[in-house]
Amino acid sequence: MFSVELLDSALFASVFRALIPILLAAIGGLICERAGVFNIGLEGLMLSGAFAAVAGSYFSGSAYAGVLSGVVAGVAVSSVLAYGAVTRKGDPIVLAVALNLFAVGITAFLLVAVWDVRGVFQDPRIVGLKTMPIPALSQLPWLGSVLFNLTLVGYVALLVVPVVQLVLFRTAVGLRLRGVGERPLAASSLGVQPGRYQYGAILASGALCGLAGAQLSLGNVVQFAENMTSGRGWIAVVAVMLARAHPVGVLGAALLFGFAEAIGFRLQGNGLPSQLTDAAPYVVTLVALVVARRQFARASTSVAT
Amino acid sequence: MSVETTDVGMPAPSAPADRGRRRGPWPILRRAAMSLLGPAPVSIGLALVLGGVVIALAGADPITAYRVMGEGALTGPGLVNTFQRAVPLVGMALALAVAFRAGVFNLGGEGQMVLGGLAGTVVALFVPGPGLLVMLLAFAAAVLAGGLWGALSAVLETRLAVPILISSLLLSYPARYFSSYLVRFPLKEKGSSLVATEPVPEAVRIPSLLSESSPLGAAIARALGPENILVRLTSTLDWSLVVVALLIVAVLVFNRRTPAGFEAGITGLNPHFARYAGVRTDRLKVSTMFVSGGIAGLVGIMLVLGSQIRLVDGALIATNYAWTGLLVALLAGSRPLRVAVAGAFFAAIIVGGEAMQRSAGVSAQISQLIQAIVIVLIAIRVQVTWRRRAKSTVREQSDDLGRV
Amino acid sequence: MDEGPGGLRGSPPGPFPVRIAAHEEGDRVAELELRGITKRFPGVLANDQIDISVAKGEIHALMGENGAGKSTLMSILYGLYQPDAGEIWLRGERRRFSSPIEAIDAGLGMVFQAFKLFPSLTVAENVIYREEVTRRGLLDHREANRRVTEIADRYGLAVDPTARVERVPVGVLQRVEILKALYRDAQVLILDEPTAVLTPQEAERLFTILRALADDGRTIIFITHKLKEVMAISDRVTILRDGRAVASLTTRETTAAEITRHMTGRDVELRAWPVTRPAGAPVLTCEGLSATGDDGRVVLDSVDLTVRAGEIVGIAGVAGNGQTELAEVIAGLRTAAGGVVTIAGTEVSRAGVAARRKAGLAYIPEDRHGVGTAPTADATDNLSLGHHRSGPLVRRGVLQRGQMVERARELIARFQIKIAGPGTMVGTLSGGNLQKIVVAREMAYHAPLLIAEQPTRGVDIGAIEFVHQQIAQYRDGGGAVLLISAELSEILNLAQRILVMFEGRVVAELDAATATESELGLFMAGGGTGISAVTTVDGTESEHAR
Repeated sequence: MFSVELLDSALFASVFRALIPILLAAIGGLICERAGVFNIGLEGLMLSGAFAAVAGSYFSGSAYAGVLSGVVAGVAVSSVLAYGAVTRKGDPIVLAVALNLFAVGITAFLLVAVWDVRGVFQDPRIVGLKTMPIPALSQLPWLGSVLFNLTLVGYVALLVVPVVQLVLFRTAVGLRLRGVGERPLAASSLGVQPGRYQYGAILASGALCGLAGAQLSLGNVVQFAENMTSGRGWIAVVAVMLARAHPVGVLGAALLFGFAEAIGFRLQGNGLPSQLTDAAPYVVTLVALVVARRQFARASTSVAT
Repeated sequence: MSVETTDVGMPAPSAPADRGRRRGPWPILRRAAMSLLGPAPVSIGLALVLGGVVIALAGADPITAYRVMGEGALTGPGLVNTFQRAVPLVGMALALAVAFRAGVFNLGGEGQMVLGGLAGTVVALFVPGPGLLVMLLAFAAAVLAGGLWGALSAVLETRLAVPILISSLLLSYPARYFSSYLVRFPLKEKGSSLVATEPVPEAVRIPSLLSESSPLGAAIARALGPENILVRLTSTLDWSLVVVALLIVAVLVFNRRTPAGFEAGITGLNPHFARYAGVRTDRLKVSTMFVSGGIAGLVGIMLVLGSQIRLVDGALIATNYAWTGLLVALLAGSRPLRVAVAGAFFAAIIVGGEAMQRSAGVSAQISQLIQAIVIVLIAIRVQVTWRRRAKSTVREQSDDLGRV
Repeated sequence: MDEGPGGLRGSPPGPFPVRIAAHEEGDRVAELELRGITKRFPGVLANDQIDISVAKGEIHALMGENGAGKSTLMSILYGLYQPDAGEIWLRGERRRFSSPIEAIDAGLGMVFQAFKLFPSLTVAENVIYREEVTRRGLLDHREANRRVTEIADRYGLAVDPTARVERVPVGVLQRVEILKALYRDAQVLILDEPTAVLTPQEAERLFTILRALADDGRTIIFITHKLKEVMAISDRVTILRDGRAVASLTTRETTAAEITRHMTGRDVELRAWPVTRPAGAPVLTCEGLSATGDDGRVVLDSVDLTVRAGEIVGIAGVAGNGQTELAEVIAGLRTAAGGVVTIAGTEVSRAGVAARRKAGLAYIPEDRHGVGTAPTADATDNLSLGHHRSGPLVRRGVLQRGQMVERARELIARFQIKIAGPGTMVGTLSGGNLQKIVVAREMAYHAPLLIAEQPTRGVDIGAIEFVHQQIAQYRDGGGAVLLISAELSEILNLAQRILVMFEGRVVAELDAATATESELGLFMAGGGTGISAVTTVDGTESEHAR
């Protein structure tokens, strides 16, 4: 047993690496859910953000310009979803599925068009996000070196949870948003225009997914790979369902997936084939959903008796 | 698509009044002309324009690029290639269309196809016996594997309220990784540089429609010349084409002429209505997902036993047929004949995109881009939806306020 | 909790001072005036040159049958629709409302028939929505609750501001809606069919509240199609017919007969359909039927009932007391927690819907859009589903499309459904015609048992007569009918026996020939609970205590 502590803080570090993009995207999905839009386009929004972040960083030489362009790209793609689903009353599921495929296509296309690269693009000119250790706190043993040694995007992700919680449940905007999501007609009969809130929610999810993508391509690694989100956006969708659209619950769900990925990663180091450990987050996700639904079903029947 | 709305084989007791006024071919021609202005053609045109813009931004001449695309997809070997791609693409689209029509959003075609391919390959490699029999056994195994994987999603929804949309998608990943693991380790061909199984025995492979080595094929080839398009088509395309064509007919008959197909269609329109009228909607979901996944699995094994000959790691996914097929099914509104047309069209775009990449230096990804844009535009323009129900919000509005 | 004075604070509202007629016409500007309002929808002239004048502090009834144009008119007033022609004047000022919010800001408040509330929010949150009370940017729940309680107390609208709306009974929801309007300081309050969800006693209580509001100087517009309510509460009444305002009368100076004449130009009283022969053998029997709702609450509590061949049994009750669930459980759409159901001699307690239909069940559901039809399918498909399992629509396993169209054509003709043809989508039909699609399909089973749930809700008077006639003929042909309706007059006109449901239980059984509305109302409000012996019609005892 050599140095349990070292292994564990390494594990926590990879938990957080896995967690932050999923958390950001899931909070985006949560806002949409609360506004009554089932957004399954998180995957595509995140992928667009990841690409744009790499491009922005590459051309400007600044990681933060990269993050910003990731956010802009996420918002741009989500605006198509918002226009189609809200203004034109199109089916958000069809739109989101098509936009996910669009994002895969356009990023791979631009990879060739801009850098003449297929598959993975790595270049010294891409500036990655540096971690920003918080003095003293990051010296704390165990979690300290992980929790207080994140990138800027990482800190934003952890801050977003209480902020969204506060806005949703303690402010007028949050109250109106929840009302819109639950009964749009009731909201409009009182003069609240559901479309505006839904637009806002979808664009916000675009921005958050853009951030998530930037963390993925400039924080976790410094490169862009075709389809590099590989299902994380879908896991975020499930996180929202699992948490029944509560921010703190979403954090819990994201933690669960972070652990699944990190432990899978570690088992892989112990000689388990990567094909089996790679499946872990998806299986854990599904099992969690099944368990949660059962729990929920039981809870509601126990009320009866 | 008049075939779908005609009562095939019925004596047609009295021509329905609201369909009447059939004098001469004019109404049909007019309808054809009108449909050219319909949402699908307009969206396709617009998507091509947007694709052209993207091509221009990438530094190529869109007109040239599209010409290359058209020639590459519709002439000579390209046309053969288009047909070759169209077969599995239409198959996958059909698999998903069956589900969509019944109101089930199957997003897991990929995993179902992969597991079908895997199960079928295992049978083809290890079950001894006469070639044709083993082939059919492989087909059966593929249908069973894909079907059960699909049905699992449905059971998760009916028993545990986990939406099919989510579970079918998530189940694709373990299916992929499991298959990849088997191909990399236990099933890998020893001493080969390919990450793949051994090739399946010659006898188990799906033969081409008309092999050039067969007497008839040779005779025709001699008569028409080896470059003739018909010769090329019949010697390159295999019997999967026939299987998929039969599937289309089967789905068509099922939809229009069987009580179960009628029930599935109504369930897609309003599941509450169906349940109220005595349709067992839960059972229908499970069987629909079994059929949907089964067809996907069949497409998977036909790819292996037809063109790929062995199960190569990641090769089934790399075709992207599952996702392109989903777009095809949406474009076709889940109707079998339209699926065939739309599938052939998207196959042409794929093949043309590859030609573009070869000679115009534009990434072949342009085809996926254009296809996705088509669906986005249609969804925006005409509010295409996988569930053909009336929007509940519209209903609420009309009930509360519109009542006169 | 529901009853009783409005709380500890403030004085209870009544007794009221002697009512002074608030409208000495002519010497004052009308509070609200509609001039020449016209609204056309494709194919319908919904409002045709309507003039209405309402004085401050007046309770003005707006009367008319379904389809007369009441809802359209009020939607225009509330800014939901724009009139094609006409003017709205409020306190002597011409106004134009392009959205509800403009109407709200001008002091209008609307209580819709289908409540516009957010189930997961609290009563107070529903009331303050978009007019939130905040402190330093955050919602001030305590202050909101205080304000809501204050208004509620002033007018005797007892509510708990912290209760979640999804857990609140229907009668209280209406008070929440009224509170919403008062919180926004509505001077003109519009109520669309407010008594539809209330017992006669609850309605009486609502009237008390409305009178208090009018005495406070607020103006009430009260939409209804019930004559009795007009006579009981209104100062003046405007009668709409076919989109036109055919009369404006002062209630004290008119009679029920005169109003009736204006409404239809004929005798509006729906006919009764008396039985011609005695009931036969039991067709439907339920014993100890229990069920839980979607939220896990008990919605059916050991219900026993029998319906015999050739009789109509009416189920009366305020909406939400288990009637819908009773129909669903009998039809097999909801799983029973316990009990036995027998249809035409076959025990079907555990059977699915198809088996029950096979045993002899036909069912007209409450929700014709969501359950009774597929609005995006054509008439042929809508008229065939359910009949498609056996001949003549199926032969050797093959669906006979031609037969389906043929049969649809027959049913359309027989039930006088106004539709372009069997290939037309039914979602485009009017409420009455859509209902006829459902009725036609279910009648075509010739099943021994028919469950008819709200069979005439929201349909025009002609369709009501037609459906009633069909149901009566069905009974006279030996069918057993379970009629669930919120319209007491419908039940009294059609049924032979009446069961009253309250909180999931059958609390009374009455003979329709002798039952009165007030008697039914008492039981509907739970007044019959606690009585051990349920009164029976053919039983020897008939002692129902009050």
